[in-house]
Amino acid sequence: MSTASKGRKARLLQVRVPVSGRQALISALGVWIAFFGIWILASGLGWVNPILVPPPGKVFATIVRLFAEQGFGADVLISIGRVLIAFALASLVAVPLGVAMGAFPAINAVFAPFVSAWRYLPAPSFIPILLMWFGTGETPKLALLFLGVIFFLVTLIADHTREIRKELIETALTLGANRRVTVFQVMLPAVLPNILVAMRQMLAVVWTYLVIAEIVASTTGIGAMMMRARRFLKTDEILAGIIVIGALGMACDMAFALLHRRLFPYLEDKR
Amino acid sequence: MSALLHIQNVSKTFDLPGGQALTAVDDVSFAVEKGSICVLLGPSGSGKSTLLRMIAGLETQSSGAVLLNDTPIEGPGRERGMVFQAYSSFDWLSVGKNVEFGMKINGVPKPERRARAERFIGLVGLSKFIDAYPSRLSGGMRQRVAIARTLANAPDVLLMDEPFGALDAETRWQMQELMIEVAEASGTTMIIVTHDIEEAIFLADKIVFLSSHPGRLKEEILPTFKPGRLRNKEDVIALPGYAEMERKIMRMMREEGHK
Ligand SMILES: Nc1ncnc2c1ncn2[C@@H]1O[C@H](COP(=O)(O)OP(=O)(O)OP(=O)(O)O)[C@@H](O)[C@H]1O
Ligand SMILES: [Mg+2]
Repeated sequence: MSTASKGRKARLLQVRVPVSGRQALISALGVWIAFFGIWILASGLGWVNPILVPPPGKVFATIVRLFAEQGFGADVLISIGRVLIAFALASLVAVPLGVAMGAFPAINAVFAPFVSAWRYLPAPSFIPILLMWFGTGETPKLALLFLGVIFFLVTLIADHTREIRKELIETALTLGANRRVTVFQVMLPAVLPNILVAMRQMLAVVWTYLVIAEIVASTTGIGAMMMRARRFLKTDEILAGIIVIGALGMACDMAFALLHRRLFPYLEDKR
Repeated sequence: MSALLHIQNVSKTFDLPGGQALTAVDDVSFAVEKGSICVLLGPSGSGKSTLLRMIAGLETQSSGAVLLNDTPIEGPGRERGMVFQAYSSFDWLSVGKNVEFGMKINGVPKPERRARAERFIGLVGLSKFIDAYPSRLSGGMRQRVAIARTLANAPDVLLMDEPFGALDAETRWQMQELMIEVAEASGTTMIIVTHDIEEAIFLADKIVFLSSHPGRLKEEILPTFKPGRLRNKEDVIALPGYAEMERKIMRMMREEGHK
């Protein structure tokens, strides 16, 4: 491929021809530099109201100050804790249930109509009732995050399990596998990489619900800090909160990508 | 009854959506001798796969019976190992562990498992790849893994549904010759589905020719012109009698196609 494409005139846009590492880096940096450049220009030249849009330097200084002097670290830890606990609980239910639904049509027949109905209910619509049931502690927040992802996670995992190729299952059966071996030693390892992908996608959704929960009904956590900042027109703190949430989300995503590569080295060569 | 496997008046009718029914296999009977290679041949839609899947126990017959050692089979089991046309490697296991899989779930102790796996991986010529993941192998190599995996599990019958259909011509005849070698070395009884006439004549001790719509047994063909099993395909093609048999089967295929 390389010799052929070198011979031809280099073109910028080519369908599905991979870019080099250098081009990828330049492209990624370029768009971020442009973003901050416009931001710096806009606030430096006074195009925008500095109270509403503080310059990036100030926002980053605020991030440092928040962590160093205002105990923001505790808020961040609380938020991370909520995400991890709720997501772990959701996964604990979704993985076995999803695999069971994908493996056994009889189980699917029970849960699929139930799960798909709930999927269309926006989780935040439960906030008022959750607050009435569980008060103002951690429970309503965890419940919201849990409800926000569980039905999607179950559906995704069940779908992936159903997509396991028939030949794998039938090979196992003609090798003498019973039901337990088929499910645990063939279907589960076959679907595991896709389960991890589904979890990675849904973890992003948990972060979304976290901020909603903390903005609406919390005095602690990153979202609550941002709502406090709003009251005192501290836009730099709001933006700092957004950046921290973005960074945490990205860190989670990268952790999952790394885990995927570690756990499933046999998939490397396929791509 | 002396044969290993008896297919007795087996029929299969599929219920189609809309209340219709389709008879894929109609009253088929034949026997497979222990240690022999039986080839199921016939045009597309003649019910070869359906018949093989019923022998494997992956499909239940509408009527009739499949007897293994005079006992009716019920569902799939290790004594009827199957190799599919499509990719069936367990990606998360190395070649060695793939081949050990059947023995492991059937409780064969580890040292014996390993030794048998090594032996059959050697037989299909993949010793160098015993620790590789299947994703690194070519299509032909993966099919060899599937064959070694099934053979190492010591089935009474090896069932194969167009096992070489997805391979290129050269790899295909290499695999065909490998199967003769494997049959000689292991003594395994085999039932192989194909619609490749050359492959059928080369491999078969007996050809069961099925007609299409519905799939009926048209003729049992014995390639008696072969002096036993030959390892080289060109030697079979060069035998007097080969051309005549090929011509006869081609004519049968053509008749079926015109129905
Ligand atoms: N699960 C099924 N449901 C309904 N009809 C089926 C099913 N499986 C097979 N058939 C039908 O049964 C007939 C025989 O199919 P089968 O796959 O056994 O043929 P075949 O001889 O293996 O053909 P090919 O050479 O194309 O693989 C076909 O008409 C097919 O459409
Ligand atoms: Mg077929």
